[in-house]
Amino acid sequence: MSGKSGLQSAKDIITSYGGKPLRIMEVCGTHTHEIFRLGIRKILPPQIELISGPGCPVCVTPVGFIDEAVYLALEKDCEICTFGDLIRVPGTETSLAGARSKGAKIRTVYSPMDAVDYARENPDKQVVFLAVGFETTTPSACLAVEKAKSEGLQNFSVLGANKTMPNAYQVLKNSADAFLYPGHVNAITGTQICEDLCRQGVSGVVTGFTASELLTALAVTVTLAQKGEPFFRNCYPRVVKAEGNPAARKLVEKVMRPCDSEWRGLGVIPMSGLALKDEYGDFDARKKYNIPKIEGKPNPACRCGDVLQGKCKPSDCRVFGKVCTPQHPIGACMVSGEGACSAYYQYGT
Amino acid sequence: MSNEYVTLAHGAGGKQTSELIEKVFKAHFANPQFTADDAAVLNIGTERLAFTTDGFVVSPIEFAGGNIGKLSVCGTVNDLACMGAKPLYMTCAFVIEEGFPLDKLEEIAAAMEKTADEAGVKIVAGDTKVAGKGQVDKVFITTTGIGRILDNARTSGAYAKPGDAVIVSGDVGRHGCTILLARDEFGIEADVSSDCAPLWNTVERMYQATDNIHVIRDATRGGVGTVLYEIAGQSGAGICLEAEKIPVADEVKGVCGMLGLEPLYLACEGRLVIFAPESEAEKIVSALRECPYSKNAAVIGRVTAENTGKVIMKTEIGAETLLPQPSGELLPRIC
Repeated sequence: MSGKSGLQSAKDIITSYGGKPLRIMEVCGTHTHEIFRLGIRKILPPQIELISGPGCPVCVTPVGFIDEAVYLALEKDCEICTFGDLIRVPGTETSLAGARSKGAKIRTVYSPMDAVDYARENPDKQVVFLAVGFETTTPSACLAVEKAKSEGLQNFSVLGANKTMPNAYQVLKNSADAFLYPGHVNAITGTQICEDLCRQGVSGVVTGFTASELLTALAVTVTLAQKGEPFFRNCYPRVVKAEGNPAARKLVEKVMRPCDSEWRGLGVIPMSGLALKDEYGDFDARKKYNIPKIEGKPNPACRCGDVLQGKCKPSDCRVFGKVCTPQHPIGACMVSGEGACSAYYQYGT
Repeated sequence: MSNEYVTLAHGAGGKQTSELIEKVFKAHFANPQFTADDAAVLNIGTERLAFTTDGFVVSPIEFAGGNIGKLSVCGTVNDLACMGAKPLYMTCAFVIEEGFPLDKLEEIAAAMEKTADEAGVKIVAGDTKVAGKGQVDKVFITTTGIGRILDNARTSGAYAKPGDAVIVSGDVGRHGCTILLARDEFGIEADVSSDCAPLWNTVERMYQATDNIHVIRDATRGGVGTVLYEIAGQSGAGICLEAEKIPVADEVKGVCGMLGLEPLYLACEGRLVIFAPESEAEKIVSALRECPYSKNAAVIGRVTAENTGKVIMKTEIGAETLLPQPSGELLPRIC
């Protein structure tokens, strides 16, 4: 399918769906954003429900991680380099923005390599990069660590909360009838993981990001779902190859090892995170600064966890839109432009 | 307000700016001529004059397509032009940082001269202050202008009516995108230059085509999107846009895609947003396309009686969805 006519026929398949109720989870934050921007929910028949899953790295970063970063900034006098979205995520006591008003030094960077450059140019400062993200962003963090190691930088380290998707799907598999798999993650991992899930009875399609790619993926999903068999299709073949990106995976395997990881709202998922290997221990901020065990406490009124699992809609949360707004977020899903709560709020749903 | 402070968001030209004006300035300055439009309308003798002022703190002071001097004349000329006023006289006040190179100052003045000549406005008085090193960033300029309103011009942000066509005079978001790239924080290179331009001649040409124009606004800091929300609010109407009709340069589209920005909220410095009855739209668009700074003029939507105060976007898949309003810090020091 291509161009206008392809888009139209995909749209026709979706809007004329008359089968059983279907819950479809989009896993990627960029999908959530595009689905709202294009108004895709507005054209869905009532039987089809789209759930925004835990695919925004900011949204799944646990409270304790923010607390650790605040600790490094305020207690250890480190200069924190981070992607901008993390700055306003609430920790137990305060966000990084709050720490900044108490004198913490927080810099926004657009790539992990910017943090390495900054450390090199400022040898008198202790620079810590906050590494969050999935299979897509982890390789660039590994590249930064490799670079810092090869240059022998003493003042650069990483506070990591990198996550991987395979085991998260095991936790999520009963939350939806089918998944729109995140195309950019599959561009790295390849499609074997989706085929394995299919054998276990979990359905989904790898999905791209344009209007026609999103509608095509949805049309394929609703068509195959009616047959009652588990299914998998790669609907983003122009970018996602079966073998993925072996070079990127090799780099990550060299620098990091799998570990248990806490996801906001989902709890600790075994082997769903990545930590620096021992030979890169000098660059691991947790080891370097001996960060004490911090038990993060999310605001009890916030239902981000339920939202991320599709157990409730953002508007079902009692703080949504009242005390929790993009200007004053209580939960992480309201902070990032890719978060489900933020999207619901901004688009007035 | 005892524990509140001014934030960068207060200077972004959006909701917080309006709140600050409302809470602080309007509370103290309110009078019959006080205005939320681009310029105040003053009746002096038999003359109807437009009067406006604008400060410029753009960083960097030079960028593809202009510099702070050109910008400072365009800003004031365009605020007058949007009231249907021919710019007559301007003043300018400079705050210059100690150590600023004289040849740069000369370049700025030359750009102001050239732009003022083009717009037919005379710079008749000024003020020069120098602040100590670090007390101001390079140079800040404030310009003030006065113009005579055309006899047949009657525009206001409150005059948009259901059925009106919504027109933009060219592709959106260029100035904001140019400044973003000029700061070199993203390591992105793209061939984009600012749309910064004096638009009086454009407005005059439009009035030769028709005087049935309800609203003219120049989209500055908050971009076209912010102007549309302002007009929807002031006029008590809704606005429905068609995503595919909004002109955006490919380079701007690309940069916005990478950074997750909406071109409608990126600053412009040479773009008009015009509301006029549907019947006049074609005349206005063809008049605009004859002018040098509005060759990509296009009708991008219409005013509706429903959805008052809101801007609705008809997307490329044919669904109608709200155009979200930006929140928090936009890009500081864009103009």
